[in-house]
Amino acid sequence: MVIATETFRPLVMAQAKARKLEPHLIVVKHPVGGLNVTELEERINAAFEGLKLEMKG
Amino acid sequence: MSDTAETETLDIPEMDADAWADFVEAQGWTDGLPTVVPSEAAVARMMDGARGDNEPFAAITPRQLIPTLQSLAANAVMAGCRPAYFPVVLAALRGVLVADYNLHGSLATTHSCAPMVMVNGPLRQALNINCGTNCFGQGWRANAAIGRALQLVLNNVGGAKPAIMDRSTFGSPAKYTFCFGENEEESPFAPYHVRQGFRAEESVVTVMSAEPNHNLNDHGSTTGQGLLTTFAGAIASPAANTIYAKGPYFIILGPEHAATLARDNWTVEQIQQFLYDTACVPLSQVSVENRRIYEEAGHFPENDAYKVAPTPEDIHVAVAGGAGKHSAWIPSFGGTAAISIRVKPPAAG
Amino acid sequence: MRIVNPSFGIAPQSEGTATAGPVDWANDPIILFSNNKPNAKELLEGVRDRLSSIRRVDNIDYIAKSSASQPAPPEMINEVARKYRIALLALGD
Repeated sequence: MVIATETFRPLVMAQAKARKLEPHLIVVKHPVGGLNVTELEERINAAFEGLKLEMKG
Repeated sequence: MSDTAETETLDIPEMDADAWADFVEAQGWTDGLPTVVPSEAAVARMMDGARGDNEPFAAITPRQLIPTLQSLAANAVMAGCRPAYFPVVLAALRGVLVADYNLHGSLATTHSCAPMVMVNGPLRQALNINCGTNCFGQGWRANAAIGRALQLVLNNVGGAKPAIMDRSTFGSPAKYTFCFGENEEESPFAPYHVRQGFRAEESVVTVMSAEPNHNLNDHGSTTGQGLLTTFAGAIASPAANTIYAKGPYFIILGPEHAATLARDNWTVEQIQQFLYDTACVPLSQVSVENRRIYEEAGHFPENDAYKVAPTPEDIHVAVAGGAGKHSAWIPSFGGTAAISIRVKPPAAG
Repeated sequence: MRIVNPSFGIAPQSEGTATAGPVDWANDPIILFSNNKPNAKELLEGVRDRLSSIRRVDNIDYIAKSSASQPAPPEMINEVARKYRIALLALGD
């Protein structure tokens, strides 16, 4: 399962296509680097919500 | 990029130059500049430039497809290569496909790196590859077309489409072409490829995932020590990818600077050691956050400064360019290596 | 007119498609696999902290490749594949 920022989603999809895979992808807002603790909290919450959806199948 | 036409030849309507340029743009086959039509006849002539080269190629990332000699020749035609350039393009491709070059990382990164191609040996003169004045610049067909052909191969066969797979924040002009020759004739040192273990009469391509050249201006220093002190100050950048000390960089000495260093009895090994020891980033120029990140990666300062090369041997020294008190620093992507590959001359016949 | 296709290439012999069996989200071991970019570790560990409210986390581990710009070595990937049923990868910038 891949947690990717929205900017890098095309890269993940292109790679998955080349390898004939269907990626389990959780997309969060870009960027992750350079964020302070408060900003990062939003990304963590988004990733966790996406993961819970994946867990439900 | 069109993924629908997966045959080696394509039948398309007759079209004039303008329509061809539009067609190629729509297919995603160009770097933005017009291209030459890769007709079967033109591609056959290009392939003849590499006759006898039957060594297979590895799959090219990210599409993970193995190129054919014909599809590679098509890209060389489109880039404007003469058939005699084709073996150099193939050697450069073989270089970037060596695992240590890290093609996938260098294509997908946000860094602005491009494949630097340096040519050594007799083919430089036979192909009229510019090694002297303005060698990184415009005006020479071989420099322009060889580097461009490699880029088109990575774009078209490899699928490294800008803004999709190629995630470079800025890109750089070097992504159009970055090919030059060493100025062996004006170098006081043994040619670069000979120092890498090749014979002087062999032609060799060296590739590295690199930023374009960063100019090193020093009109004032009159000693080798003075020049190297200036160079070290420029190389000690806290914002180049070399700050991670994971990979190589090139110092391209202008012939006048090289002559001064040789006059003062500096060897290549001494130049490498001097730069390794002194081109270091002072702790005061590195943010607290970055210090923590570097420490987590095992990169610690020595004497309150960060080294920017893993070893002295990762500092590659060559001579190029023309008259003038300038040299050049070519920082690498970081996670890459300088790879040298012998150019296979075409078989007789 | 006929041209040679500049994007033509041959797909390598397929090694087969990897498939994962059913996953027990409440108990299976998870590896948090960082690309070693700044904040990737904080992001993944933040997810682990939140997972503690809905599953056991004593078998959720963290690993990072040694360089953001270089691929993870095959032995690292093989070790992870052997020990864990689920991998959460951070990819981004």
